[in-house]
Amino acid sequence: MENVLVVEGLSKAFGQVQAVDDLHFAVGKGEVFGLLGHNGAGKSTSIECILGVQKAQRGMVRVLGMNPLTDRKQLFEKVGVQFQETNYQAKITVEEICMLRHSLYRHPADWEELLKAFGLAGMRKQTVSKLSGGERQRLSVVLALIPDPELVFLDELTTGLDPKARRDVWKYLDKLKERGLTILLTSHYMDEVEALCDRICILKKGRTVVLDTVAGVIEQSPHNHLEEAYLWYSGEEETANESL
Amino acid sequence: MKAFKTMFLTELKLNIRDMNDLLFGVGFAVVLTLILGIVVGNKPAFAGADYSFMEQSFGALTSIGIAATGMMGLPIAVADYRHNKILKQLRVTPVSPALLLFVQFVVNFCMAILSLFMVYATSALLFGYRMPGSVFRFMLAYLLVLLSIYSIGMLIASVSPNMQTVNLLCCVVYFPMLLLSGATLPYEVMPALMQKASDFLPLTQGIKLLKGTSLGIPLDNIMLPVMVMIVLSVICIWLSVRFFRWE
Repeated sequence: MENVLVVEGLSKAFGQVQAVDDLHFAVGKGEVFGLLGHNGAGKSTSIECILGVQKAQRGMVRVLGMNPLTDRKQLFEKVGVQFQETNYQAKITVEEICMLRHSLYRHPADWEELLKAFGLAGMRKQTVSKLSGGERQRLSVVLALIPDPELVFLDELTTGLDPKARRDVWKYLDKLKERGLTILLTSHYMDEVEALCDRICILKKGRTVVLDTVAGVIEQSPHNHLEEAYLWYSGEEETANESL
Repeated sequence: MKAFKTMFLTELKLNIRDMNDLLFGVGFAVVLTLILGIVVGNKPAFAGADYSFMEQSFGALTSIGIAATGMMGLPIAVADYRHNKILKQLRVTPVSPALLLFVQFVVNFCMAILSLFMVYATSALLFGYRMPGSVFRFMLAYLLVLLSIYSIGMLIASVSPNMQTVNLLCCVVYFPMLLLSGATLPYEVMPALMQKASDFLPLTQGIKLLKGTSLGIPLDNIMLPVMVMIVLSVICIWLSVRFFRWE
């Protein structure tokens, strides 16, 4: 399988705190890869270092065969990014931000289709700041898909969405996956991880605890469900017991 | 080109919606033109002067649009983009962040030109103003003053770590300059000491330049302002590029 994303030995420290510690993984074309771990485990920092938004201290990153630091303009033609927090220009409308993003790419996707698919077609003239949390979250996924990407980064893609909306997002991503889209996502919802991810990597204090298929991760733990296995790996169970 | 056009139109709409440039850059300049025209308009600038008060003040009035867009509109927009991580978001698209800054520059420039046009229309239609000097020279001077004031704005935007600092610096730079440079209170009515202090403000030199060209005063009086403006622009643009930060 052709690798769309390769990360080797990525490390990043903030002063004394090692946020990302010797991260290694590769994601193949059409694969959905989940980066898991509790808050502060280094998921977002990893993504930002991979994208070149933050400077890693060590390590090698190849995205679509390119170096994000030197081939930025070419690379981001075909890579979509949803950061954990998306901010928008004050008073911009849904339609305006979509058109704005659309204009930045050579071969973008149809943004009106995307709005429809994510249930936002009726919100076109709305000011982004007046949208509900869930609507804004869906818009941020739409914006990440506007480049018609080969690879998309989704940081906490369905946080704040109601169950119906979450399933709609999953269904749409599944469709894109069938067409060859590669996805790297982070999530705190294990049902979502099981529904979407082929392989997952669990981080704890920046270090990789386990990296395998969802079934493999469960198998290597003493548990039968991903949620318990995840807590076991990420060490939340121990702390929960200690505090009791 | 498609990116520039869409960004420009969107940012222009946002700027108009925001109202700051419209109120402080255009509205304020027009209101001041009206007041001046009604109160002293066509009287001679001083006893025995061969030009009117309005003719003398025209340059200063057009500088209000430059100051409001360049020292408030532009730096606050850029700082806001950094503060709200819109620059970070744009870093993961194919667009160069420089294009975004350029778009802000052009949008604010358009608002300044709108202010210039409105001041001219008001003084020409209501008070019969005609520019005694060369329009071409005036426009050259106008662009030079605009560049130097915008370069100060860019520098403020570049060196400020956060929104509060930008707001503070803008107020500290903008309001004294507006009041003391002759843009609002005519330079000619200031006491000699105040005039001396005022001479150190770049906008004072800029207004002298605008006044000189719009009145058609011989060039040797305005060589100093020209030099000050050019040196200031070069230094500020160099510093703002040197110390620019995306986050």
